[in-house]
Amino acid sequence: MDKPSSPACCCCEAGQPGPSRRGFLGTALAVLLGLVGLAAPLVAGVMSVFSPLRKKSAGAKLVRLTTLEALPEDGTPRKYPVLIDYADAWTTFRNEPVGAVFLRRQGDKVSAIHVICPHAGCFITYNPGENSFFCPCHTAHFDLAGKRLDEKSPSPRDLDTLEVEVRPGGEVWVKFENYQTGTPNKVVQA
Amino acid sequence: MSGLFRWIENRTGIGAAIGTCYNLRLPGGPGCRYVLPGLIGFTFLLDLLSGLFVWLFYSPGSVSSWESVYWLQEHIWGGWLVRGIHFYAANALVVLLLLYVAQLVFFGQYRAPREFVFWATLGMLGAALGLMLTGDLLRWDQEGFFSTTVRVSFLTLLDNVKPGLGGSLFKLVVGDSEFGNLTATRFLVLHVGVCTGGFLVLWLLHGWFLRRPAAAAEPECSGPYWPGQALRDTFAWLVLAAALGALIAWPAADPANAERAPGSYLGAHLGAPPDKSEGYAAARPEWAFLALYEFANMFQGEQKLIPIFIVPSILVALFCLMPFIGYFRIGHVFNVVLLAALFAAAGWLSWKCLEHDWQNADHQKALAAGHDAAVRVKQLATVQGIPVTGAVTLLREDPKTQGPKLFKQHCASCHHWSGGTDKDIRCEEIKDGKAIDKSSAPNLFHFADRAWIAGLMDPKRIGGPDYFGNTKNFRKGEMVSFVKDTFADLNDEEKKQMATAVWALSAEAGLKSQREADAKDAAQIKAGRALLVDDYGCTDCHKFHDKGKLGGAPDLTGYGSRQWLIGIISNPAHKRFYGERNERMPAYAEFPDEPTKNLLSPKAIEILTDWLRGEWFGD
Repeated sequence: MDKPSSPACCCCEAGQPGPSRRGFLGTALAVLLGLVGLAAPLVAGVMSVFSPLRKKSAGAKLVRLTTLEALPEDGTPRKYPVLIDYADAWTTFRNEPVGAVFLRRQGDKVSAIHVICPHAGCFITYNPGENSFFCPCHTAHFDLAGKRLDEKSPSPRDLDTLEVEVRPGGEVWVKFENYQTGTPNKVVQA
Repeated sequence: MSGLFRWIENRTGIGAAIGTCYNLRLPGGPGCRYVLPGLIGFTFLLDLLSGLFVWLFYSPGSVSSWESVYWLQEHIWGGWLVRGIHFYAANALVVLLLLYVAQLVFFGQYRAPREFVFWATLGMLGAALGLMLTGDLLRWDQEGFFSTTVRVSFLTLLDNVKPGLGGSLFKLVVGDSEFGNLTATRFLVLHVGVCTGGFLVLWLLHGWFLRRPAAAAEPECSGPYWPGQALRDTFAWLVLAAALGALIAWPAADPANAERAPGSYLGAHLGAPPDKSEGYAAARPEWAFLALYEFANMFQGEQKLIPIFIVPSILVALFCLMPFIGYFRIGHVFNVVLLAALFAAAGWLSWKCLEHDWQNADHQKALAAGHDAAVRVKQLATVQGIPVTGAVTLLREDPKTQGPKLFKQHCASCHHWSGGTDKDIRCEEIKDGKAIDKSSAPNLFHFADRAWIAGLMDPKRIGGPDYFGNTKNFRKGEMVSFVKDTFADLNDEEKKQMATAVWALSAEAGLKSQREADAKDAAQIKAGRALLVDDYGCTDCHKFHDKGKLGGAPDLTGYGSRQWLIGIISNPAHKRFYGERNERMPAYAEFPDEPTKNLLSPKAIEILTDWLRGEWFGD
């Protein structure tokens, strides 16, 4: 291996010139052809790996969660699972939980807060003793409107609110979607 | 024979290659200080072999990952052992690599001419940590799932650097816009393909670099690998294998486990499957990342970029540059101090994290709940089988698991479910550390069993807080005054008689817990029924089988039975129950023909009913 390679094998013509233009061209061509040969599977592979970037968001889903009269009148938040039909790649699930929201009633108005903490995606819990929301993963506190309570909150933004529609007859519908975590702005997770 | 060997050797050169391994010259001769590289190779092979068997049974997917791991763990002969070896060997691999990096740095063996040996080792450590991170999710239990969602969501922090970057990276890792089937397949490839393949290549390269003439020692002050070092190596492998065996078998020493099937407590951990509508409050990273977790908690908001990306990148760069920094004497001292400081800091941070988790009652409660859910779901999976919608459905439709949650959510703003147990659900508000009773309806703990009915018929208790005491109208209603008038001064004989009436009414519920007692006391129950109708005159207001009429007070026919409870929860203002006198209990399924208008689905009401009646699989 360490010896300089010399044309010692039987198939090579003796007395070939050493490094020449032809030799260089030959090497370059071999490398190029090799790359072209590799490129085809590589490109196909990279395309498939990057396919999630082309996926379009399914958009927000309107979900009926409860009725007005079932929500406590004193403004205590209550957690509701969100069940929708959704496709997980090749499987379509019917009426499966995909997340949850806290609903809170004030008079005839209802506000909805996403249970996912905007910091790192853990689930917040309601703490009745302090009447606030709390995230157990990195100890962020929020008030019932979702405002950050800690002087230095781990969370980059307040809790995410969701659009609520109270329909005639008192049905409470929520426009459910997920948001990216870790950013100061609320960005829909596409 | 020797001709055959010569022929093979002539064509393959394998003998010579093996010979170079055995004739490798070790500086200063064989010694325990050369044990680690071989031990790392041995541990990796253990991991690789056991991993192949785990892979044989693994089916990646959002409703098959957990299920297949569970099947391997509990239903495949020796499956728990394979998982145990895989898990403990993977952890040992990280420990050994950390020790090896420390050894290389402290003894100056990372410097010229062994730079590539050191870099290959760093690469192996990276691959082993990658195996740990990806393997954490592959189990697809709530611990692994929810700690991985947090971990991967940190990628979106990069949106603060360049908008869109973090979100794109997130999707690339997850393979979809959310965790699901494609995430499982991606992590499997990262685990068995990228990290394992990468480790294998680096391990072979490491061995090659170690044998380069430049890195090997001069012959005069060295000894050969064979046999002195080979013996030491195999001895170390045996010790490691024994240690892994002891770790795997350790829980068997607990006499409490004597009766249990080995797959239910030995091997590697498997929690409950994750529920996307519930989360898991006790999610923590694997031990090797606890220090980073604790460190990251010191930063807020966008500053999280520092602990998650900037500091680790700087450290990786510094480690890669160590061979050059160590070229100078002072540089070597710097490297040694850096490594020692890093180990000390990581140890301290990890300890701090464990300590405050240990002291945090909420964290311990979440851990215990997770443990209960894991035990429960495996019990249900074993007996009922796993439906196509996955094991999480078993928990979601299990009265024992969901009953208390549904009760808390829909009933506990008026009712207690409280009998002095650790699972009590109280309807109360905590003000200044004191619990204030907010209930406005009866306590439904063991509703309709003999003790509950006896309390209802007790003149001292019917007007109390466990029955009608906190209601608006019923506390002064006819039922309360009837009980107070009729049962106030009973003599012993009458009390005995009344007990049979209690049994008779309670028997209407047909509770699982009283099945034997109801059968045994059939004669007294029959007498009690006559008492209810003829002596006490209950049917003046209530309907009871073919006596009395609906519309006055709740129907006593089948009182507390499954069908009766489903009925009253669906619509308490129905004439079979309270009719117009219903106070404030909502009708949870008032419109049987228009399901979207109802507060609760028929399934949820059934679950709630079964839980109230203590009807669920097991205990």
